[in-house]
Amino acid sequence: MKKQRAVIAVLAFAAVAALGLVSCGGGGSSSSSSSGGGGGKEGGVLNATYASFPDYLDPQLSYTQEGWTAMGDVYIPLLTYKHAEGTEGSEVIPGLAKEMPKISNGGKTYTLFLRPGLKYSDGTPVKASDFPYAVERCFKLNSGGSVFYTSIVGAQKYAETKQGGIPGITTNDKTGEIKIELEKPRGTFTNELGLMFVAPIPKGTPMEDLSGNPPPGTGPYMITKSQPGRGWEYERNPYWAKANSKAMPEYPTGHVDGAKITIVRNPDTQVNDIEQGKFDWMENPPPASRYAQVKEKFEGSQFKVVPTISTYYFWMNTTTPPFDDVKVRQAVNYAIDSAALERIYAGQIVASHQILPEGMPGHKTIDLYPHNMEKAKEMLAEANPSDKEITVWTDTESPNKEAGEYYEGVLAELGFKTKLKEINADNYFTVIGNLSTPDLDTGWSDWFQDYPHPNDFFQPLLASESILKTNNGNFAQMNEPKLDKEITELREEQLGPEQEKRYGELDNKYMELAPWAPYGQRTLSTFVSSAINLESVIFNPTFGHYLTSFEFNE
Amino acid sequence: MNSTNRDVAPAEPDAGSAGYGPWRLALRRFLRNRVAVAFLILFFLIVLFVLAAPLWANHVAHTGPNEGHTLEKLHVNGEVREVVTPEGKPIGPQLFEAEGKFFLGADSRLGRDEMVRLMYGGRTSLLIGVISGLITTLLAVVLGLLAGYYKGWVDAVIARTLDVLWSLPVLLFGIAIGTSLALGGVSIGPIHIEGGSIWVPILIISIFYTPYVARPIRGEVLSLGEKEFVEAAIAQGAGPLRVMFGELLPNLASTIVVFFALNIANNMLFEAALSFLGAGVQPPNSSWGTMITVGEELLTTQPLLAIIPGVMIMLTVLSLNIVGDGLRDALDPRSKVRLEAHAGMTEPQGAAV
Repeated sequence: MKKQRAVIAVLAFAAVAALGLVSCGGGGSSSSSSSGGGGGKEGGVLNATYASFPDYLDPQLSYTQEGWTAMGDVYIPLLTYKHAEGTEGSEVIPGLAKEMPKISNGGKTYTLFLRPGLKYSDGTPVKASDFPYAVERCFKLNSGGSVFYTSIVGAQKYAETKQGGIPGITTNDKTGEIKIELEKPRGTFTNELGLMFVAPIPKGTPMEDLSGNPPPGTGPYMITKSQPGRGWEYERNPYWAKANSKAMPEYPTGHVDGAKITIVRNPDTQVNDIEQGKFDWMENPPPASRYAQVKEKFEGSQFKVVPTISTYYFWMNTTTPPFDDVKVRQAVNYAIDSAALERIYAGQIVASHQILPEGMPGHKTIDLYPHNMEKAKEMLAEANPSDKEITVWTDTESPNKEAGEYYEGVLAELGFKTKLKEINADNYFTVIGNLSTPDLDTGWSDWFQDYPHPNDFFQPLLASESILKTNNGNFAQMNEPKLDKEITELREEQLGPEQEKRYGELDNKYMELAPWAPYGQRTLSTFVSSAINLESVIFNPTFGHYLTSFEFNE
Repeated sequence: MNSTNRDVAPAEPDAGSAGYGPWRLALRRFLRNRVAVAFLILFFLIVLFVLAAPLWANHVAHTGPNEGHTLEKLHVNGEVREVVTPEGKPIGPQLFEAEGKFFLGADSRLGRDEMVRLMYGGRTSLLIGVISGLITTLLAVVLGLLAGYYKGWVDAVIARTLDVLWSLPVLLFGIAIGTSLALGGVSIGPIHIEGGSIWVPILIISIFYTPYVARPIRGEVLSLGEKEFVEAAIAQGAGPLRVMFGELLPNLASTIVVFFALNIANNMLFEAALSFLGAGVQPPNSSWGTMITVGEELLTTQPLLAIIPGVMIMLTVLSLNIVGDGLRDALDPRSKVRLEAHAGMTEPQGAAV
């Protein structure tokens, strides 16, 4: 910029303006592992890329697919999910706990025992009392996942005061016993014990975001270096071979010796780099513009489509005008055309207009708002909202970016005066999850199952108890006491056909109130270089790709 | 060793220029510079092109710059063409095949008309360039006059402040500030600038480029301050304001005009870079910088989407630079001589044009 006059410099800039500038970029995706594959070899360092840095590299804080993928084989909870794909991968199995919990006292007491001889990656022995410390840390840091554990006796008080510990969890470091008392039965609690939020970490771990210096974990890999915004690196956990693998032999050890993750924000560049072998794997799917080409060229050898249990949606803040009026929200639902969004996602979503995605127990296909722009306009005219100035939020990662721009266009067509805010994907959920952020009117979001239970699509996203000052996940700030009560009642029961039916009805009831305008269910993909054994790579519905599942070809 | 005006032979007057005023003379010199004139015409054509945006949008393309047409189909010569294919590929340039619709194709999977966005984007880019150029010039003139006239501590404070600003990595600071302001905007006293407003990049560009204009003006004022006409004005009792704005400012006019033209070019480049990196013009509004960003994703399949706005930036900046150089040569013929003398030419030419 200093060169103001030289024509040559200007020409040079102009020549690169179109080509040079466009070479910036990034990308990403995730990994998994298990014993699968065959035909691969041990060792090597996986060179991988993500399109954005995860929300956090801290087990108690991260609440994104990217974050859980990044930490899936670093922090092992007491219970975990089977290293497998599809339905099999939704099975909860013992993690650091010896066996599945003993549930007593009418479903209110969970008793587990820690496996003996476990150590963290810094050599510190794992103690039973590390578990309540992790739960307290989850509350103290206002983690978005803390809502899953408020039913533990005393947890709600701890969440409010952040003092005095949680009396509902008692431990014995000598025997490894962990006893958890719940205020009410909770049918989902076994699943929730398998989430990253409560993965034990050493007692004394600072009560602050440690994304730049992740704490020691118990998994086969450890994060040795983290540069938020740029990337991170893994090495084998030295105490895995010495201690943990002996204590939990069924857990995969992994094939590669380590991994280096680089953030490349341009998914187009990521695809080129995978094709040229500069990277071995990209966590995020190829961009929509290259998707068809990659699929056609590499499917079966380096590329495979993986279905997900997810919902993509636009949320509307139900607490402030104009979206505090249900008619306005319904009008928006009518105005959204999923067919257009399918095209924007280049076929990587399947249209859907409900909260529960296909594959989730309780799903029953409904479509209360088939696309009808005329009707939407009529309804909006009837509602006649006084405030028509709205801010629309989305992230910068394609095609969510375009989905947000499409949505903004639809709202403008409806007559709203719109302002679009595109936030870097690294920080998007942190920004919109902070209630002090101004103008949180409406925007884009998605949700991938945490565990295979329909409660996961209601409690963290739509129950009033999930409205948090920071790390909020109830972006619509939905507060409907009647439906809250139903969520609470349902989650206290074990899931069966009757409960599934009621979850289906709950889906319908929420959609009648239209806090969201859902538009689709996503398919993701695994795309690796020719150096990687595609068959061995596992995409788990909860943790995404497991690092332990990657292996280089012979 | 510095060469001064005294080291250089004075410019010879133009043949046949007797009786013309300095501005008329400058115009004659400028008009004789055919390259500069050609690029001035090019610049005016570009301005006309972007000013015609509403006409094209309303009467030819029948769409607005931010209007999506993802599911729309065009009927061209009995053939149905989808604006965006199910695989997400936008339609390419149709030129006049679809009666001017999608003349340059669609910009992305949103199916926005590239031509319409190019024209509106050009308006934004030029507007930012010109307004920030005006603000920069105003700030630079005031600061340059104050520093050069008062000298002493006033000069020290202003000059060092400008030095600090100059020493900052402009693009990195611009990105940092632009990104943070894009979220919440900024309040300066009673004035609030919204996050997505084009005033955010204008403000950033204006502030960061002020030293690049203020410092040469300060130097010019220091030089002019030694001249007899200034001493004479002071001797006649003229106050600081009168000297600065009545005596010095008119003598800075040629410098200001030249810097203004060059400044617009630089501002447009800076805006393009900021917008490309997401810290300038905010979507869905277009500028040529944001259009390159959008085109980037489709570079392998639809390279024109990035190349066309890039070429528009190149042509505009190039024309402004050449016009700026032409103006400099026309308004201050000796400046060319000085430059050549600095470059070590042994026989500086008196006639600059």
